[in-house]
Amino acid sequence: MRAFTLGVTLAIAFGAAPAMAQDSDSAKVSVTGQVAKLCVLGTPSSAVIDLGQMANTSGARVGKRAAIANKSVTLPGSFCNFANSVVTVSATALTADDATAAQPGFARAVNFTATASNWAATDAVATTSADEQGAGADASGSGSVQGLPKLADIGLTLSGYDVPGDKLLVSGGYTGSVTVTLAPEAAPAPVPVP
Amino acid sequence: MIRKSSLALALALLGSTMAHAQTETAASTTASRAFTVTGNVPVICAGGALTGGDSTFALGVLVNTTTGLLRTDLAAPNKVLSGAFCSALSTISIAATRMTAQNVTAPAPSGFSTGVDFTATASGWTTTPASVNTAASTNPEATQSRATPFTGDITVGLSNFATTGGSTLRPVADTSYLGSVTVTLTAAN
Repeated sequence: MRAFTLGVTLAIAFGAAPAMAQDSDSAKVSVTGQVAKLCVLGTPSSAVIDLGQMANTSGARVGKRAAIANKSVTLPGSFCNFANSVVTVSATALTADDATAAQPGFARAVNFTATASNWAATDAVATTSADEQGAGADASGSGSVQGLPKLADIGLTLSGYDVPGDKLLVSGGYTGSVTVTLAPEAAPAPVPVP
Repeated sequence: MIRKSSLALALALLGSTMAHAQTETAASTTASRAFTVTGNVPVICAGGALTGGDSTFALGVLVNTTTGLLRTDLAAPNKVLSGAFCSALSTISIAATRMTAQNVTAPAPSGFSTGVDFTATASGWTTTPASVNTAASTNPEATQSRATPFTGDITVGLSNFATTGGSTLRPVADTSYLGSVTVTLTAAN
């Protein structure tokens, strides 16, 4: 055991002696890092989309849906720093804040189409189809896959307003919602193992 | 010794960066932004379209040409306000003024009258029809309330014709007796 220890010591001495004579030395250290997958939606130009007064107050269509202008919101500087992302839009029809059931001839819901654009070849579109009582108010849709990392101003537009059956609208406040989501393309469903 | 120290430091930095990156990845791969969509519908009441001919209850000759007394079979077709609605709770009110001679403005001589009273009724809007009698000093049933938004037809009819002052009086001759009926829908806020 002792003889073996001496042998190792000598080997180190021979190897170290020439190095002491050099006037420079170098060592290589690897530097590594990561960039996480990120999707960020820019600050919207407006957090609330107010359609204003939605019924005609005179004329042949008094009490029924008025011509409501399209509304647009921009999400500037939105990005995903990886390929194969998808924009999805989910929408909930406007329904009357008063939950009382609508009487015959009336509706308490206003449907619309929400479109999220300028992300991929096909826009994300969701069209709500609530009934006159406001049931079935949710809808969602996804655009096509964006195959590259992308930085863009995503546009959100509300259009195509419609009242079920073109019925009279119950008076009062109405509230709905739209959610825009940027996310990786959904993974394919796993194949069941027989 | 310096190499060892440097290497140790590099490893420490790498470990820190990795831990940070994992946290960010979990939080930000998906981004969502929710928008509230709002709108409003004002309280609206509309009287609908008047059907049943023009806007006049034409009663024709008012008196029995034999007796000179008010006819007992006076009648006129109902008027219908079709498609009336209120988008909120509402009241329906009916007001009427008796028919009066338009050309004879002097007080009626004894035994005669220049007026014809009647009852006007608006039905179809409330369980109890709104009604008014032009001879009555008060008409508590002239206004009726409805607790829900409603759309439907309002039928307006006239009945209970009577000579003002009593059935023994005779209406003075005049080519025009004129009265009025007004139906009002009001939203109750």
